[in-house]
Amino acid sequence: MYQEYFKEDHQIFRTTVRKFVEKEVKPDIEHWEDAEIFPVELYAKAAEAGLMGLDFPEAYGGIPCDKFMHVAYTEEICRCGSIGLVSGLGSYAIACPPILHMGTEEQKQRFLTPVFQGQKIAALGITEPDAGSDVANIRTRAVRDGDHYVVNGAKTFITSGCRANFITTAVRTGGSGFKGISLLVIDSSTPGFSVAKKIRKMGWNASDTAELSFEDCRVPAENLLGGEGMGFYGIMANFQNERLALAVMAHATAELALEESIKYAKTREAFGKTLSGFQVTRHKLVDMATKVSVAKEYNYRVAAKMQAGIDCLREVSMAKNFACEVCDKVVFDAVQIHGGYGYTREYLVERLYRDSRILSIGGGTTEIMKEIVSKVMKF
Amino acid sequence: MIDYELTREQKDLQGRMTAFCSAEIAPAAAELDAAATDKVPELLRAQFKKLGGAGYFDLLLNADFVSQCVAGEEVAKAGPGAFLAAMSSGTAFGMALSCFGSQAQKSRYLPGIASGDKIGALAGTEAEAGSDLSGLSTKAERKGDQWILTGSKDLVTNAPVADVFLVLAWTDREAGLEKGLSLFVVEKGAAGLAVGPTVETMGLRGAPTAGITLTGCAVPADALVGEAGGGYALLGRITEWIKISLSAMSVGLGVACMEVSTGHGKGKKAFGKPIGLFEGVGAKLAVMFTLNDLGRMMTLRAAWSTDHQETEAPILTASAKLFTSESVNKIADLAMQVHGGHGYIKGSAVERLYRDARFAELAYGTSEMQRAFIARDSLNRYKPA
Repeated sequence: MYQEYFKEDHQIFRTTVRKFVEKEVKPDIEHWEDAEIFPVELYAKAAEAGLMGLDFPEAYGGIPCDKFMHVAYTEEICRCGSIGLVSGLGSYAIACPPILHMGTEEQKQRFLTPVFQGQKIAALGITEPDAGSDVANIRTRAVRDGDHYVVNGAKTFITSGCRANFITTAVRTGGSGFKGISLLVIDSSTPGFSVAKKIRKMGWNASDTAELSFEDCRVPAENLLGGEGMGFYGIMANFQNERLALAVMAHATAELALEESIKYAKTREAFGKTLSGFQVTRHKLVDMATKVSVAKEYNYRVAAKMQAGIDCLREVSMAKNFACEVCDKVVFDAVQIHGGYGYTREYLVERLYRDSRILSIGGGTTEIMKEIVSKVMKF
Repeated sequence: MIDYELTREQKDLQGRMTAFCSAEIAPAAAELDAAATDKVPELLRAQFKKLGGAGYFDLLLNADFVSQCVAGEEVAKAGPGAFLAAMSSGTAFGMALSCFGSQAQKSRYLPGIASGDKIGALAGTEAEAGSDLSGLSTKAERKGDQWILTGSKDLVTNAPVADVFLVLAWTDREAGLEKGLSLFVVEKGAAGLAVGPTVETMGLRGAPTAGITLTGCAVPADALVGEAGGGYALLGRITEWIKISLSAMSVGLGVACMEVSTGHGKGKKAFGKPIGLFEGVGAKLAVMFTLNDLGRMMTLRAAWSTDHQETEAPILTASAKLFTSESVNKIADLAMQVHGGHGYIKGSAVERLYRDARFAELAYGTSEMQRAFIARDSLNRYKPA
């Protein structure tokens, strides 16, 4: 039975996002990439356009929607050509779910509403210099002291960490292993909290990535999400959504690179004809288009299953790996078709090439995805 | 009998270059990559003086290609940007002059190139002419005892720092590629020569790149290199040398990727053990080594066959360039993957190496051009029995 994933309301929303990209992002994106930051006002503009808080309840200023609304958003916002901007603007999508799922009513009102109004920036703080996907090994410690937790430790690779108003932070309140981990919402104005460094990266330049330091940082106990020891569950619960989002970013980035390559191949001439006049180029473009189409369809399928409430740990891990590998290959070929010009900043594919590389690392590397799949499949 | 052993001299050279590069080239590599484009020239000149002092340019001008590859791998491993800039000056410009130039041209330019005091560049590519030279538009017209050059060149490595350029131009368009192109030496100060803004590139930022324009640029009659109309054949030879050099560069980059990856594999722990002990990571290290060692063998074979003027030299050179450039991209990708997020940040060596590696498959004939050349050669070579 044939079924379209995107209905009319998805298409309307898609148009809204496209207009936002054309009007608010594209005119300045080169400048923001060079400056390695985008203006904080963009959050409010996105909120005004109805693009913040997707898939969160209206009660907190969110926009209830299905997975395909989110997919449509990601596909369209990626068309700005800067995946860094996409991740910076969307850092709430990883920082806020634990608050929604584990927080009290008061916490949800306090933390979520201003973020979805574009007034505050949220970040998720899990990774540490010595603990990435090995979440159970995190060392940042929170010790209860009266009405407060005293937090000491460090976090790294924190998207939006340089200017986040609060960080949903994984801390160790108990013993070793995953059972000792809790989630604390830490306000960036808390004494003892500091941005140790803004991390410069190969790509995703428009998003800020931070190394954070916590030194005797006193955090009110009322900022604990759920109970002590529930952090690991809260972290894991959203990984599937994050991985789907990364997979969609990958196919969207690849599609953009493909479009740029088609345009270039049809206009650039060598040996008396356009590049697309060469069989090797045409076949390369066909391979790229085939890969993008398959990745995209599989991502949609996984989104549909997730929408239906089916557990897809295996499928979403496979989707992320497949789409990211496709993206790496497609952006590589896109640069190849552009030749020496693809190596210069004057062509979009140069950035897409750099931006793409983190997709198969962030949110769990390809290798971690394979470990997950092999466990689910009991290999 | 096949003897893979390097000569005593080549082994000594290798040892000397390893020591020199780790002391003088490697420490500057990260800064050359990260520096603002207007700071690169000064840093690069300092590197050129050191390379000159170590006899590296002498080697590029005079030594056999096997020795050049042995030394070049060390330079590229330590500082890929400096390697490309040195190759563009010492090989693309310097060796061209040393093989095809007049005695006067050699005495005027080569001492400076050899010492590293002067920097040369090759200006062949144009916006509408990369591998397809028939798209060139720059022309040289004879007027009295001068040549007047008009046109523009694009993506000229070293242009922002070059003291002297080797420029490809039409002297007789009607005569076609094989008889109508010529090479000219054009000094930086020549009236009518302008160097454009530095082009921001993905990698190899230590070798700055820009376009140049020639507006009625007058050079003396003796600026012509070789004979008028002989440019195509000369450029073909020069490109062969560059392709061998770039193969050595890819191998050097590959070694650098392996060094940082094995270091990270031993030092970084996850799930209770060094990640290098995970089979998945170990398998990556094994692929990296195998690809790189095979690439080195192909490179040295291409170099040796060029030294011995074997008829197979061009095809071996094209396949070495194709294989090493594709391999180093695979190797750099695996290196990045071994590093995880730590490899994506600025300041990590692998982040730089990954960007640098991408150049190899694009420059001096994309992989597609190498394949087309190999295919043509193969079709001519193998005939039905």
